[in-house]
Amino acid sequence: MSAFPGPLPASNEPTGAPASHRIELQGVSSGYHGRKVLEGISFVVEEPAIYVVLGPNGAGKTTLFRTLAGILEPYTGTVRIDGIDIGREESRTRLQYLSHIDGIPDGLRVDEALRFYATVEGVGPAEVDRVVQLLGIEELRPKFFSELSQGQKKRVSIARVFLQERAIYLLDEPTSNLDPKLAREIRDLVLRLSQNHLVLYSSHNLFEAKEIGKYVLAIRDGKLGYFGLLSELRPAKYVIGIRAEGAEGILSPASKKGDYYLQELSGPEEVPRLVQELIAKGVQIREVKEMENPLEDLFT
Amino acid sequence: MSYPASNDRAAGTFAMAGTTIRRTAVIGWRFLAIGTGLSLFLSLVLLAAGKTSATFLTTFPLELPFFATLGSMGGLMTFTSDRTKGVFEYLIAYGLRPRTLFADGLLATASMSAIILGLSLTVGLGAAVSRGVAFTVDFWQTIAFYTVPMSFAGGLFISTVGMIWSSVSTPRTGINSPIGIAPMLGIAPSLLVFIVAEAAPKMYFYYITSGAAVAIIVAVVGLLALSARLMGRERFLSPL
Repeated sequence: MSAFPGPLPASNEPTGAPASHRIELQGVSSGYHGRKVLEGISFVVEEPAIYVVLGPNGAGKTTLFRTLAGILEPYTGTVRIDGIDIGREESRTRLQYLSHIDGIPDGLRVDEALRFYATVEGVGPAEVDRVVQLLGIEELRPKFFSELSQGQKKRVSIARVFLQERAIYLLDEPTSNLDPKLAREIRDLVLRLSQNHLVLYSSHNLFEAKEIGKYVLAIRDGKLGYFGLLSELRPAKYVIGIRAEGAEGILSPASKKGDYYLQELSGPEEVPRLVQELIAKGVQIREVKEMENPLEDLFT
Repeated sequence: MSYPASNDRAAGTFAMAGTTIRRTAVIGWRFLAIGTGLSLFLSLVLLAAGKTSATFLTTFPLELPFFATLGSMGGLMTFTSDRTKGVFEYLIAYGLRPRTLFADGLLATASMSAIILGLSLTVGLGAAVSRGVAFTVDFWQTIAFYTVPMSFAGGLFISTVGMIWSSVSTPRTGINSPIGIAPMLGIAPSLLVFIVAEAAPKMYFYYITSGAAVAIIVAVVGLLALSARLMGRERFLSPL
């Protein structure tokens, strides 16, 4: 359950069967000033879930989000939202976009900035009150945006995303610059949202990605390196760490990393057998955890 | 799930212009204050120092466009700031077109010019009336055919050039930037038109001034149409 003081709008609560929405990219090349950053990207997304977009710096994640949001026009290929070309205004009304830049106009207080975007969105001040409550930023309302900390700025920026419900949420690094507690709250909020919305979510935090993502879109050198269920990803090496007492002489001290004895296995199916063997030998196991994140391989 | 209708969004775009004008007055308040202050100060000096009302009648209409142009720089400042801060990225994602962003900036610029012009004319003419200045037909014609059109044309011209310039370059601050250079370039059209009109026979004065204002406005519209058509949307993204 979210730690946010306010509820999601009623229409954002998961209710019954989700409406069907679809993002479709066919052979999309896109970039800046004629220079291609993305090349030949094709995928279809239609199941409500969090799709984590991963890739090293400069791989093209932000370019992908900007292309999906209709900010960049593809050089080749097509982007369709619910079958409507992204070039048509109608398709934009199905998207909500959070950039990695705050995008709050200079010279405005937080309350004014949210009202500014509410005006652009065509929604009333009641929606501003609602998102202020949702993100717990009541005390920030009278402050100038420039006076806020990075984390507070991010919260205000995220609040704007919830001014109006959309079917598809494009969230480019929503938890960057946030402290762990707030990052957790945002993740909880996004997880609730993903129950009946399509959410594309980019992050550099692989543990966060693994925690919330159902699908992974890995971008590498502007191309789609992997698209599939995160649960189907296997690391090249499957290594677990065992924190235990009485393991001296049973587990090699050479394999110890901090408090954990590292063991390389062929896969997670071997874990129960190993644990049983160790217990049978009198080892008191305190913790077993995966040491390798399969998502790391997508960065290499 | 309901989606905003396009007429709602059009209303939003219209209402956004009001916010932009207000923000421009906040962001560019120093230019606004200097433009208005200098204009009022010089008007009052002309009235106080002039031995005859002729000094006021000939100089007052000619100085206003320089200060109106100077004071309208907030429009360009707001545009550049919005681009750098990533505001345009959101607005384009909401479906706004680059030409709307340009138009919004120009509307803000024209509003600043209108504020300075309105204040200066009200205070300057009020003070002149109180000093017993008798206004001539020539004076009113100069106001109508030079002062008012050139006050708007000068600001709109330099805002357009500045917006295009800042869109095709890496945003910089300081004097060696579009905003730094704009005030100096901005008064050039008014000055040039004034020099040419003064050098020409008197009978051509109003043709030259009003013709120049129309030509500048046409150039502004042409530049906007061309740039909105030729410039990719990535030109409006923050380089940050």
